[in-house]
Parts: sequence; C-alpha cells; structure tokens
Amino acid sequence: MTSIALKSFLGLRQSSPETTHFSYRPKLTTHRRKFTVVAGVSSPKLNGRNLRVAVIGGGPAGGAAAETLAKGGVETFLIERKMDNCKPCGGAIPLCMVGEFDLPLDIIDRRVTKMKMISPSNVAVDIGRTLKPHEYIGMVRREVLDDYLRNRAKDNGANIINGLFLKMDIPKEKNSPYVLHYSSYDGKTGGVGEKCTLEVDAVIGADGANSRVAKSIDAGDYEYAIAFQERIKIPDNKMAYYEDLAEMYVGDDVSPDFYGWVFPKCDHVAVGTGTVTHKGDIKKFQLATRKRAEDKILGGKIIRVEAHPIPEHPRPRRLSGRVALVGDAAGYVTKCSGEGIYFAAKSGRMCAEEIVKGSANGKRMVEEGDLRKYLEKWDKTYWPTYKVLDILQKVFYRSNPAREAFVEMCADEYVQKMTFDSYLYKTVVPGNPLDDIKLAINTIGSLVRANALRREMDKLNV
Amino acid sequence: MSTTFSMASFSPLTPISTTHSSSHCKPHHHNTLSTLTLRPKNHPFFTLSPLRVSAGTSDSPETAVKQPPENISVGTNGSASAVTVPEEIKVSNGFVDPRWVAGTWDLMQFRKNGTTDWDAVIDAEARRRKWLETNPESSSNDSPVVFDTSIVPWWAWIKRFHLPEAELLNGRAAMIGFFMTYLVDSLTGVGLVDQMNNFFCKTLLFVAVGGVLLIRKNEDVDTFKKLLEETTFYDKQWQATWQDENSSNSNK
Repeated sequence: MTSIALKSFLGLRQSSPETTHFSYRPKLTTHRRKFTVVAGVSSPKLNGRNLRVAVIGGGPAGGAAAETLAKGGVETFLIERKMDNCKPCGGAIPLCMVGEFDLPLDIIDRRVTKMKMISPSNVAVDIGRTLKPHEYIGMVRREVLDDYLRNRAKDNGANIINGLFLKMDIPKEKNSPYVLHYSSYDGKTGGVGEKCTLEVDAVIGADGANSRVAKSIDAGDYEYAIAFQERIKIPDNKMAYYEDLAEMYVGDDVSPDFYGWVFPKCDHVAVGTGTVTHKGDIKKFQLATRKRAEDKILGGKIIRVEAHPIPEHPRPRRLSGRVALVGDAAGYVTKCSGEGIYFAAKSGRMCAEEIVKGSANGKRMVEEGDLRKYLEKWDKTYWPTYKVLDILQKVFYRSNPAREAFVEMCADEYVQKMTFDSYLYKTVVPGNPLDDIKLAINTIGSLVRANALRREMDKLNV
Repeated sequence: MSTTFSMASFSPLTPISTTHSSSHCKPHHHNTLSTLTLRPKNHPFFTLSPLRVSAGTSDSPETAVKQPPENISVGTNGSASAVTVPEEIKVSNGFVDPRWVAGTWDLMQFRKNGTTDWDAVIDAEARRRKWLETNPESSSNDSPVVFDTSIVPWWAWIKRFHLPEAELLNGRAAMIGFFMTYLVDSLTGVGLVDQMNNFFCKTLLFVAVGGVLLIRKNEDVDTFKKLLEETTFYDKQWQATWQDENSSNSNK
C-alpha cells in the first residue's frame, strides 16, 4: 500500500542536476589539509598505519562525521544496525544545511514556505510572508537523508559496517586502542549476528538518545521530551492545503510545554506533539492535537505511529578520553523548535574536523585535548542559539496567555523576518534597534493583555 | 466478526461510555472500526471529555493512555477498508454566542450610550477563552478567528486592571519614597532638594518605584527567585562538561 503511494510521489521529486556539487570537493580537502599539518605535533606519530576512528551510529551526525574523517585521511569505521531505519523525526532542515552539506535537491520532499501558528483560542497567524522566493524549509525523510550521507561517507573511503554496537573496553594505558564489541550482520539476512571486535584509536558516539557509547563512558543522563507522531494519509483535496504549509498548534490542551504540529511529508502529513513534564499524558495531547487539526485532516488514515525521545539539554559529560559524543547522543536539540538534524550533522562534522586536525590527517595519535577543541568550538558557536531558544520557550510556552501573546507577536513581520533568518541561516543578524524596541513594547503589551484576560478567566465560575 | 472485534478492542473504553449514554455511543464504535477515519475515532473520546474530567483523576490517566493503542490496532489491522465519513456525526458545534460573528466580537452589539463598552468585550473574550480551555475546538480555515485583543484600546485595559490597584501602589510608593528620603537625610545630612541632584539618590528613587510596581504581593519575591533559578538552570546544564574538566585538571 505504502509502496504504491511512494511511487506516485516520485513524480513530485525533482530530478536535479545538482550532483555536480561533488566537483567542488577535492578543492575543499586540499585546502583543509594545508592548515592541518601544523597541529598534532606533540602527540606520537603512528607507524605504518593511519589513525583508526569508529563512528557509532549512521544518522546525520554519524554520516557527516564519517565523511569528514574519511576525507581527512583517517581510517573510518561506521557501525550502524539498521541501514533503512526511518527514524520518527520531523525531518525539517534549514536552508543553510543544503549548501553546507552539498545536499542534492531531490532528497528534499517538500519545501515549506508557509507556517501557521495557531493559538489556544484558535487565532491563526501566517508566518513566512517575508520569505524570499528561493527560501524555504526543507522536509526530508530520514531514511533518504541518512542513506545519502552514509553513502557519501562510503564513497570517500569510510568502511560501513552493518552491526549492532554492544560495548567497548576502555584502555588502561595511554594511547592503547579502544576495543569495540559488536555483532556483525554484514552479508546476512536476519538471524543472530556474528560477534566481532574492532580496535580503534578514537570513538565518535553518534548513536542517538539511547546511546550505548554514552553509557560506556558514563556520560550521565539528560532530561528528555517524548515526541509522539502519527503519519496520516489524508485525501488529496486536503493534502493540497498542506502542499507547502506546516502548522504549529500551541495550547495547554495540545502540550503543556511544547507544541503540536502538522508537518507535510512526501505524500502524507505527520501529526504529533511532544512534552517533557507530562509524559504519561502524551496520548491525550495527541488526541487533542488531532482534534485541533480535525477540520483539515478529516477522512485521513493513520499509516504509522511513532514515538521517540528528544534530549532537552546536553549530557553532563560529552567527552571522555578519546571518546566524544555528537548529535542526539550528546543532547544537541534546541528548545522551543525541537530542531536536531542540522545540529547533529554539524556537530559530527565539527568533531571529525578536530580529530583530523589533531591527528595531522591521520598520521598522529589524537588525545583528549584535541577532542576538547571540538567542544570548545561547539559551545562557542552555538551556545547563544540554544540559550535564546531556551528563553523563548520559557517565556512563551509557559501558559496559555503567554502562548496567545506569542502568536500575536508572530503576526509581526519583523519577528517573522528575524525568526526565519536565524532559522534558515543559523546566524543571528542584529536587527534594527528601533524595531527591536517597538517589538519589545508590543510583546510586553500582548503579554499584559493576555494575562489580564487570564485573571478575568480565573474569576469566572469560581 | 467485525462487531466482536470492535467490542473487544474497545472494552477499555466502556467504563466511560456506559456512564454516558450507551445507546448513543455504541454506533460510533462500529463506525470507528469500519471507517478508520479520524473523526469517529476521536469523536467519542472528545464528546466524553468533560465527563472524563469530572469523573475524577483516578481513572483518567488510565483511559487516556489506553485509548489510543486501540486506534493503532484498528489502523493497522484493517487499513484496507476505507469508507467515507458518516455525515450524521457533526457535533463539534464550537463556541456559540450571538455577539460572536464571523470569528470576532461584533462591536456593534457592544454599543452602550453611543460608545463601545470595552469592559463587556473583555468579559466576553475571557468567557470564550475559558470555554475553549475545557472544550478545545478544531481550527478551521473556513471560519478563522480574527479577533485580536489589541483592538481594545489601551485605556480600557488600564481602567479595568490598573486603576483599582493604582491607589494602593501610589500610596505605597509615596510612603517608601518619603521614608527613604528621611533616612538618607538623617544619615548624610543631604536635604530633599540636594538629593534630587544626586545620581545615587535618583537611582534609589527608581529602585523604589520599580520595586513597588514589581513586588505587589509577598509571593512575588518567591516568583522572582524562582525565575532567576530557572534562567540559569540551562546554563548549568550546558556547563556541566566543563566543570568536569576543570575538576579533573585541578586534581592533576
């Protein structure tokens, strides 16, 4: 059933000549090599072999890390259990990711150019009017994206292992290898895997929220949100509405601390919601989300139900020895928007770059200090983004009146421009101070009004 | 076969439906199985939702968690049989008020002595929002909500929400200001007029006024303390990695 649906959609995918992107690549690597030779002078040289690094997990973080490592001359092993895993995931990627990771345009299923925010009292606000013609939010399917990134890593020389990572032995002496235990499923169809071991010099843990790598380095736990999502196939006439539009519902009924969403997928919509504080009630929130969107998804059929944990903050320890965590395993998901794909891929690449640099293109041993540089750089680059989104979530997802004010605020074109710019390009461009002040006053006005109404509501029927 | 299956699969629901009107609810269950559409599925749940809430918290989490898996099993077991939505269940009537016209409050109906009675608009909107909190309504593109609280002029809000408190706040600010002036005068010997020319004293004045505005009740102090904690919490979560490094460095 689904296969038919998918096939019909193939016509919608763009067959783009974008593959020529690859021609840029050699130039990039030579450039990178030039300045990496300087680093890693202190560490011992490796004799007769290159640095061996294992990447656990083949998602965006693992794929990006493996590609960068392989290109940097490191002997790379990527271990992934399920090659066609379609992880339950919103699947939104910002525009800058397409350029930064040279993604071919045909893996983007849909280009969302309109967002609708719907407040608890059903005030709907269109966001995205400020978008320029070439700007959009890409919607991808994770199985497509992950597969593409993994294959690119493979093309660059990474060894892709179909296996389940079990545990690793942490070496007692300095510079001796980590021993990974995994069951290999290569060349097999089902059944029990074959127990294998692998010796590597460094490990990148990109194995998601339930990371085994994190467990084995005692990285500690993080608070997580649970996201619940139903993929619903809706009639064509209803689907036309969601052609290039995504919806966000806010309200206590939908989620006490997050939002409910309707995202367009290749040939269906994903309806879901998430929460940290009331995980037990997630099904109730899901029903409420469906109820709020009912008018637009009427007659739809649920084709798939999925739930997954979303990290709320980084793990207490993201690095230990020559083991570093990236992506969801480290906990790099933003608050407020719940975005993770871009940050995962970016952190994987950043970590790999530091390893390549620290090992002088795989010629030398790396040490903890080299990996620390990745953390340092990461926190410096992205901490402000995470903090701003945390503040936004705390201010505007706090209560229904705050959400009403949030939606009112989003109707402002200046806000939309700022939000989209920072989302699509991941850079915060300082705005016009006069507009900023106007915005602050308007926002406070909205908050005051909504809270005043709230007080009136509390007085009713008491 | 299908009926027995539907009864079995929905058995966790029956405690709710029986307390409601069972004759009314049962047909919906049949619909749910045969149609596999969204409406029938959440329809019984939502028409019952006020009842579920009032029935007490003890059984509500259980039913809330159990109910959706039924949907899932129905969806996967018989996904082939898709039938159109039955027309007769159109009950989501939404919020009804004669003054609520085309997604906004009809201001003509709030006329009083030639002017709009904004107090009544605020009352009406508060009532609507309260109603929506207990009866969430699906958002519709055909009848969008266009009411915006900013159409109520600022003085209407001030009159309603600030003036009753203004007397108290003014009095409090005056008292605190007076005693602070007295205190500064007695300690430093700087008189009232000279204090006005002093930067420190002006700052004190702003602190006093700001404090009076922000801290209106004793609980407000706690609220601010909690807010401060909340704003730094995320920073601490991020810095955990670095504290780890610092401590290990100092051990060396």
